[in-house]
Amino acid sequence: MVKPVRYYLLLSALAILLSLPVGPRTAAAIAQDFDFGRLEQEIEKYTLVMEMKIELSFGMQSTEQELRMMATVVSEDGLVIFDGSMLELSDPFSSFSSFSVKSTPTRLEFTTLDGEQTYEGEYIGTDRYTRIGFARIVDTADTDFDYVEFSEPDRLSVGDWVALYFLLPEYVSPRLAADIGMVSTMVEIPEEFPMIVGFGPHEMTSVLFDQNLRPLGVLGVLPDPSASSADGGGMHSMGNNDFPMLGLIGADKIGELIADPPVKGQIVRGWLGITLQALTSDIQEFFGLEADGGIIVNEVMSDSPADKAGLKVGDLIVQVNGQPIEVDTEEKLPVFQRMIAEMGPDAPVEFTIVRPGEEAVDTTTVTAVLGKAPIAATDAEEYENDKLEFKVRDLVFTDYMLYNVDAETFTGVVVSELEPGGLATIGGLRIGDVIQRIGPYEISTVGDAEEALETLLADDPTEIVFFIWRNNKTMFVNVKTE
Amino acid sequence: MKRILLVILALATFGAVGRAHSQTTQELIYRARDKVYPALVHIQPVVKDYNTGELKKQAVVGSGVIFHPDGYVVTNYHVAGKAARIICTLWDKEQVQAEYIGGDPPTDIAVIKLDLSNHPGEIAVAEFGNSAAVQTGEQVLAMGSPLSLSRSVSAGVVSTKDRYFSSDVRLPTGERTGRYNLWIQTDAAINPGNSGGPLVDLQGNVIGINSRATLFANNIGFAIPINIVKQVTDAILTDGEVQRSWIGVHCQALQELEDFFGTGRNRGVLVSSIDPNSPAEESFMKAGDIILAIDDEPVSARFLEELPAFYNRIASQPPGSDIRLTVLRDEEEYSFTVTTRELGDLQGEDFEVTGWGFTVKGITRQMQIDNQLRDSSGVFVTGVKRVGPADVGGLRSGDVISQVNKVPVTDLADFILRYNELADTQEKILLTTRRGGATRLVVLSLDTEEEVRTDG
Repeated sequence: MVKPVRYYLLLSALAILLSLPVGPRTAAAIAQDFDFGRLEQEIEKYTLVMEMKIELSFGMQSTEQELRMMATVVSEDGLVIFDGSMLELSDPFSSFSSFSVKSTPTRLEFTTLDGEQTYEGEYIGTDRYTRIGFARIVDTADTDFDYVEFSEPDRLSVGDWVALYFLLPEYVSPRLAADIGMVSTMVEIPEEFPMIVGFGPHEMTSVLFDQNLRPLGVLGVLPDPSASSADGGGMHSMGNNDFPMLGLIGADKIGELIADPPVKGQIVRGWLGITLQALTSDIQEFFGLEADGGIIVNEVMSDSPADKAGLKVGDLIVQVNGQPIEVDTEEKLPVFQRMIAEMGPDAPVEFTIVRPGEEAVDTTTVTAVLGKAPIAATDAEEYENDKLEFKVRDLVFTDYMLYNVDAETFTGVVVSELEPGGLATIGGLRIGDVIQRIGPYEISTVGDAEEALETLLADDPTEIVFFIWRNNKTMFVNVKTE
Repeated sequence: MKRILLVILALATFGAVGRAHSQTTQELIYRARDKVYPALVHIQPVVKDYNTGELKKQAVVGSGVIFHPDGYVVTNYHVAGKAARIICTLWDKEQVQAEYIGGDPPTDIAVIKLDLSNHPGEIAVAEFGNSAAVQTGEQVLAMGSPLSLSRSVSAGVVSTKDRYFSSDVRLPTGERTGRYNLWIQTDAAINPGNSGGPLVDLQGNVIGINSRATLFANNIGFAIPINIVKQVTDAILTDGEVQRSWIGVHCQALQELEDFFGTGRNRGVLVSSIDPNSPAEESFMKAGDIILAIDDEPVSARFLEELPAFYNRIASQPPGSDIRLTVLRDEEEYSFTVTTRELGDLQGEDFEVTGWGFTVKGITRQMQIDNQLRDSSGVFVTGVKRVGPADVGGLRSGDVISQVNKVPVTDLADFILRYNELADTQEKILLTTRRGGATRLVVLSLDTEEEVRTDG
């Protein structure tokens, strides 16, 4: 029994050896098919070097960082895209309280590749799934910028080659270098995505060209659907930490984003208002069901779209708008979460529901009109007090979930940043404390906090007493002001 | 598992100040030793541990001291509290069995009783002193079994007599502890195994029960003052347990806050937090009130060190008592009556759900408050056995099981009933659980036969 196996292995080894010289030769041949001279000329027209200052804050600390990256003009009036992966890192669950990371662009400047022109820019926002950042050139009368026009692609296939240019470090001249990559698979789930090998993260958002030098789209990462967990309602699932899968963000997706660029802090995600769990085969078996998967409704927020539509705790959602939901493991939950998020507020959605009763299993449909997803902690209103050196933010939906408190009765503002050695820090406030009263004033919003602190500090007091909620108990904290 | 047991070893300056009379320090130490050493007990309990999802028995080591001629021994709750059986070795190296009599997690004190029917000789009884008279700097002896080295004596001084610890510290069995007492700190080297042993003054009186040590530090150990121990052992011998009154207030030291609340120094106790559904919440009381008097007797807690005595003042009332509180609010005084309730057990009774691969405990009112549970229905998961059905299904310790196969579970007894009905009858069990604010369904698949692996 052993010998044939060895024989087979030997054959495979031979095959591998024989095939070795083939790879490089093919790649070289492919590379020759690109007219890089012409491509470079083309790219130079709408490529800018972007320098961006961002402020990164981690609760107790904030630092400024300068980024230099390639940016591409995508519209006549100066809309620019770039790699926004450093910005708006706002998964509300990872950005909660002391783990809060905020990155805010404070200054943007664009320079043409020849170094002759410099423009000031204004940050617009970053798409939470593709991580493509958007900015606009502002300080110029120019309104007819050269820009890239993405072509509707022929369908890519595995084995197709694409080319791009990427920006080299500042001390290197010339500024751009070429690279090629190959379509290695056509991802189907969680969404259609031509995966490309041969490129690295430093090449993100570079424009990708086929051999006819048509711009197909940009290099992006397979969107992590769990980024949609921010739609709240307890739709919480930790994203996976797989390696980034690079590939083509195609013309249609980019076109949509260019037509309606994401604006920082503006919520366009749909919200249903349930907490949920995957309908695994084990649970299906318990209920005697046969489905490809689905969503278990574990809780329905009162007054949420789900509540108004009549969804009930224990309902099993098996179809959305007539399409089966193939969520049969917890890992696939984000597919559903993103689907809801991307449908956007005000979208009517039909859910097919299985309602297991005592004896029979009942199937029905309900239609919910989605709401607006609650804002994330990092997008919440903030107020900074320079005297006490700390920041507070409004409570957001996920706080109620994580603190396990009643949204209707629990009020206050959350301590979101503390300067080490600052008066608030020395006085004993901590990141994540919920301030419910300052001096005699009840606090429900950062506006209340601002008013209370400014009123109190105007009298130059020696101390300010905060009434806070921490670890499920309340207490008083005396912050000395000198 | 090693328990953190605390010991007091004193290797301090001999030949320090001589007493007014002619006895040398060495003679005093001998005298104190002779009074307590024969009452010293080396305790080897086998304790029940439910934290890994199954009942595991573990041999641990602690110390104790005989305080009653009938063979009662005081030790720590964390030594003997969950003992399945207890073996003791006396100072004469004779071994006897002991029986668990009662314990009190809030003070970490337990009482066991020696079975002396087969013990050949006499036993000695140590005398309890008065911890209120202890002086910082006073020389003391610690006796016990550091690292199981029985009959060890060490010496040192009282480093401070009123050390405060927050009651956020938990015993290995999960109970919060330390709310009702301060601690005598001593410069003894502390080692696991000393827990429950006596701290003795040079008159040969027990002034504390050694209970805690600071790990990674030198000679920072802590004993429970004997006056607290006396209250607890008396209650255990009389009633089998310590009953406490509960009104559900948490207080904080008033220091630095007197001006804000408009009270004077050493006047009143600040209420910082009120437990939900507690007598205090149902009364007139609010966080921010300053309690000026209990039953018209003034109280105050300007410093943290004064809080345990205040808590004890309320706790020591018989449960169900009416207490009259006078509070200061917005510079006005108000008086009202609060009817106390019994504090009750901090943790519920344990149960091993053998066939399903996890352990649970009943939910007490204090667990409900601690874990922000909506009510006390259901059972609390204390451990999940690795690779058992519950682990595979996604159950985690800290979850609350509210339903079994869609039928609500009221309490532990109800859960055990349901478990016994269902065990071996069904291949799949559906548990409805809550974790933090979220509900989850967990399916236990009991049909998976254990894989048999052979080398064939």
